[in-house]
Amino acid sequence: MASFRKASVRQAGIQQTSMNNTAAVTLVLVTCLASAAFAESKKEYRFTVGPNAIISVDTQYGAISVKSGSGDQVIVTATLKSDSVEVDQQQSGSRIEIASHLLQGANEQTGRVDYEVLIPPDATLNLHSSIGPLSVEQLHGDLTLEGTDAVVNISNVENCHVVVRTMRGPITLAGVRNGHVEIATISGDIHLKSVTGPLVLASSGRGKIFYDGDFGAGGDYKFTTHTGDIEALAPADVSAEFRVHSVLGRVHTDFPLLPHHSRYSMKAGSSFVGTAGKAESAVVLRSFSGRIRLKQR
Amino acid sequence: MTCSDVERVLPELLDGASDGAFLPDFDAHVKSCPVCSDLVSDLKLIASEARQLAATEEPAPRVWVRIAAELRAEGLVFDSAISDSATREPESAPARPLLVPVPGSPRWRWTALWLAPVAAAVLAAGAYVISYKKVVPQVAQQAPTPQVTSPPPVIPAATPPSVPATAPQQVAKEPANPTGVNGAVPAVEAAAEPAPSAEDRQFLSVVSTLGPSTRATYENQLNAVNADIRETQAYVNRNPGDADARQHLMDAYQQKALLYQIALDRIQ
Repeated sequence: MASFRKASVRQAGIQQTSMNNTAAVTLVLVTCLASAAFAESKKEYRFTVGPNAIISVDTQYGAISVKSGSGDQVIVTATLKSDSVEVDQQQSGSRIEIASHLLQGANEQTGRVDYEVLIPPDATLNLHSSIGPLSVEQLHGDLTLEGTDAVVNISNVENCHVVVRTMRGPITLAGVRNGHVEIATISGDIHLKSVTGPLVLASSGRGKIFYDGDFGAGGDYKFTTHTGDIEALAPADVSAEFRVHSVLGRVHTDFPLLPHHSRYSMKAGSSFVGTAGKAESAVVLRSFSGRIRLKQR
Repeated sequence: MTCSDVERVLPELLDGASDGAFLPDFDAHVKSCPVCSDLVSDLKLIASEARQLAATEEPAPRVWVRIAAELRAEGLVFDSAISDSATREPESAPARPLLVPVPGSPRWRWTALWLAPVAAAVLAAGAYVISYKKVVPQVAQQAPTPQVTSPPPVIPAATPPSVPATAPQQVAKEPANPTGVNGAVPAVEAAAEPAPSAEDRQFLSVVSTLGPSTRATYENQLNAVNADIRETQAYVNRNPGDADARQHLMDAYQQKALLYQIALDRIQ
């Protein structure tokens, strides 16, 4: 009886192994067939540019990742998911335009091109992708990023203008110093961490806005949502004048703010105006029906 | 002479149709009033530019027909107004307003000159004006009389003291006819979602070319933005003194503009 049971177990094990092998082979075949069908290819383009180059990358479908490269070189690595899409590239002096060119029958899968781009750190950069994601790191030239549903990530940039527009895509900025920042999204969330500069504007219709930072020294910060919440986290020694108002929502602050005159009528629970420290920066947090919280770190 | 007097006599003066009896008062007022001074300067410029236009550069008749139809559809003018205007027109003149002055018809010259820009502006601002004045007449009465523009002959509503920059979308969103001829609902009562405006329908038609799922996405976003606009407009109507709410209304319109722009960028 015992030997029969051992044999049954061994037989079951053999069958299981066989099934696993079959599944693996099938998976490999499917992968190969899919790869063949999409005919993925990779292309690299190199350009030499002068100072303050202008680089534009536009793809309907696909990710764009841009990082700081060396000196005067622009290196674009494009991964095309199929033969249904081409990459158009053009250089005019220090202006470079890269664009995905969808061919007949291309769709979101077959028309996808992912770009990895290395550019001089002082270059002006324009990116557009409908679905993204868009990612930019370690630059100090002006940035314009636009996407419909694209997730946008910008980190470690300084001394530049940053303009971001999306329809639904969430936007995250981290480590932006001395930036002139303008962000607008219809329903995406906005996350700002350690973002400072003379002007920081963030506007979302239905998304939320989160800020974690010290509001710099001497900047204008204006965050606006329609129905979304706003949450700002700042250190105890923040130096700013705060004007906070939600028309239909509630507002709350952890800071012991000094009262400050306002031309707007203040209503307890839905608005407050006050200063902290030397009030070097001006911070305006506005929502129509969202909740606003100013929290102390 | 008051600002209203200036607006009344200005067309005649610029046409040269006036005997100039009130010129001293007119000049004195214009020198002392920056608003009227700007108005006179602007109109002189328009008149100067308009005279440069050749007759062949006039818009086609269908343009005027469409403008009239739009005005009528928006409830900004009524058939009687248009027909009255038509009956006043000299028989020798064409059946449409003219951009280029026609000798012998000074009144019509200025009517036409004013109509082109004003019609466009009123198409954009009219709905907001009417709903605003209807809901908060006391505010409108207390505000100073608008000096920047003069009401065109066929437009029953006056220009508001200040029209938000966002007014163009308002035209599309909320029908402005207070008489309800077009089934319009006053903004303050517009809780139910109205039918898409003509421009929204056109917008959706265009984005449809990007595929059904894309259209659905844009339609959802458009509905959300329009809902925000309606909500804010209703609040502003109830609380006309809330400056921050008015700013939110402008923000909401900017959101709609952003949506249009994003779609346009994608289509291009």
